[in-house]
Amino acid sequence: MVPFAVLFRNLRKLMKTLDWAVVFIYLAYVTWDGVRMSRQSNSVDGYFLAGRSLPWWAVGLSVMATQLSAITLVGTTGQAYTDGMRFIQFYYGLPLAMVILCVTVVPFFYRANVFTAYEYLEKRFDVKVRALTSFFFLISRGLGVGTIISAPSIVLSIVFGWNLTLTVIVMGMSTTIYTVFGGVRAVTWIDVKQMFVIFFGLGVCFFVILSAFPAGVTFGDAINIAGALGKLETVNTSFDLQEKYTLWSGLIGGLFLMLGYFGCDQSQVQRFLTAKSVDEGRVSLLMSAFLKIPMQVFILLIGVLVFVFYQFQAPPIVFNAAEVTRAEQSAEFRAIETRFNEAHAERRVAAVGVADQVTVESRQTYIDADKKFNAVRQEAVKYVRDTGDKNFNDVNYVFPTFVLQNMPMGVIGLIIAAIFAAAMSSISAELNALATATTLDFYKRLYKPDATDAHFVVVGRISTFIWGIFACIVAFYATNLGSLIEVVNKFGSFFYGSLLGVFVLAFVVKRARARGAFFGLLFGIASVWVASHYTKIEFLWFNVIGCLVTVAFGYLISLTVRDNSTVQAPAE
Amino acid sequence: MSMKDEPIEEVGEGYIRPDSWWYRVYVLVIAWTIVVITALWFLSRYFSAISVN
Repeated sequence: MVPFAVLFRNLRKLMKTLDWAVVFIYLAYVTWDGVRMSRQSNSVDGYFLAGRSLPWWAVGLSVMATQLSAITLVGTTGQAYTDGMRFIQFYYGLPLAMVILCVTVVPFFYRANVFTAYEYLEKRFDVKVRALTSFFFLISRGLGVGTIISAPSIVLSIVFGWNLTLTVIVMGMSTTIYTVFGGVRAVTWIDVKQMFVIFFGLGVCFFVILSAFPAGVTFGDAINIAGALGKLETVNTSFDLQEKYTLWSGLIGGLFLMLGYFGCDQSQVQRFLTAKSVDEGRVSLLMSAFLKIPMQVFILLIGVLVFVFYQFQAPPIVFNAAEVTRAEQSAEFRAIETRFNEAHAERRVAAVGVADQVTVESRQTYIDADKKFNAVRQEAVKYVRDTGDKNFNDVNYVFPTFVLQNMPMGVIGLIIAAIFAAAMSSISAELNALATATTLDFYKRLYKPDATDAHFVVVGRISTFIWGIFACIVAFYATNLGSLIEVVNKFGSFFYGSLLGVFVLAFVVKRARARGAFFGLLFGIASVWVASHYTKIEFLWFNVIGCLVTVAFGYLISLTVRDNSTVQAPAE
Repeated sequence: MSMKDEPIEEVGEGYIRPDSWWYRVYVLVIAWTIVVITALWFLSRYFSAISVN
């Protein structure tokens, strides 16, 4: 008879092998799939816009996949675990933004027959405005794509014990390879498949969590437990500008952010420009308008269910295992751990009380027990911050740690594949957009306008490869400099509102002139810098400030321009 | 799904639906958003202050 310990060890080995096999098959398939599409991408129109031939549903899924990065996936679930569902308010402005874009940007760009959003600005203003906006896009997205690689790589390497350098290279370079060869066609079709991987993985995860609840605890009980602690709050009507997620910051700040992101960022504009027609481009954006909020609710709900799961199972005191191992060297931290375990036991009894019967007393007992539990956990997090990384944030480690410790054979591999899919779908779109802007806004426009189609495709492929290498290098630096991630995110929010302002000038303000747009953009970015350094206004509002300042200064400066004979009306 | 290359189709006016059709779609999007946000608000209020036995 095989001893139980040996059987268990062999089973663990089999589990790891199966999980690795799922991840390996996924990576090999997407790389092969992208490379095989290279033969359909040998012209400028084919490589950068897929010959404007893609159906709305593929473009729509690609739009959503591009926005859903790995750090959104693991961060959102972690955020729901710690803070509930209030993050959903971030997306409340998205549907209205999509409607506005369908009325304005989509037909303008499509009928102007442009390859990049910034090319349109040359038609409306001049080449300097095109080059400046494209330059800001390259800087912010070039750094941003490094962060998109580094953030999940750090989390995966710590949680699963992988080599960080290897994780960055595998994630960054496998994406680079299929993007180099397949162009935007490969990016879009692989995005479609990646969305299925992501939601199949999350769907399986959802049912596994439900099945892991103690006997007698139903989905309804779980919602009651989460609701009792305010984890289901989805609308906060506070007008406080320093509150991060409110109905108003989502509807107004989020509206400006989404207008800037979907309407002025080449990584998104390029998605709908690949659609077969203006109408299909519009429908692809409206798909997000209908599905994005419910989709995010589902992702957040998984985080909330993980929270409920840990009411009955002891959660790690801190989800970053490396930090716990370091901190456990100290007697002070071990004493916090003891109190943490006691607080969890007390809260578990209270949670069972709420699941059994919701009464005023059982709810209050549970709320009190949760407060005590959180106080001890915060003490542990503070200890980790005080003795180690000052910017330590546990949120991103919640979901991967939960998956590693609680998911069955094969499902761990599936979830890792889903996290990779989320990362790669964003990285590929960014690399493709960076290469498009580099090749067409700078190389073709300013250096070699008369070269052949084949030449520009080669330049596009080389640009993609160089941006892929650059992104990996930035990712290595970002892993060592925690604050760099914050810097890059802030820089991104400088960009969107101000860039949106330039497009508002182009579309709406007839009196706007090139000089006004050029300097308006610089003033807009400067105003956001001032707001971020000298006020405590939350970042969603930066998009509003940047846009309004750019439009106001752009208009005023335009009034000083006397000669308006060269102005072109918006293409329609 | 088919991964084969789709034939490139001309972008013609024949593909463009009239503005009146699109305005109805936009109204539907806004109505849908209001319904979703209201439903989320209602559910969060309901579960945070659920009637006790």
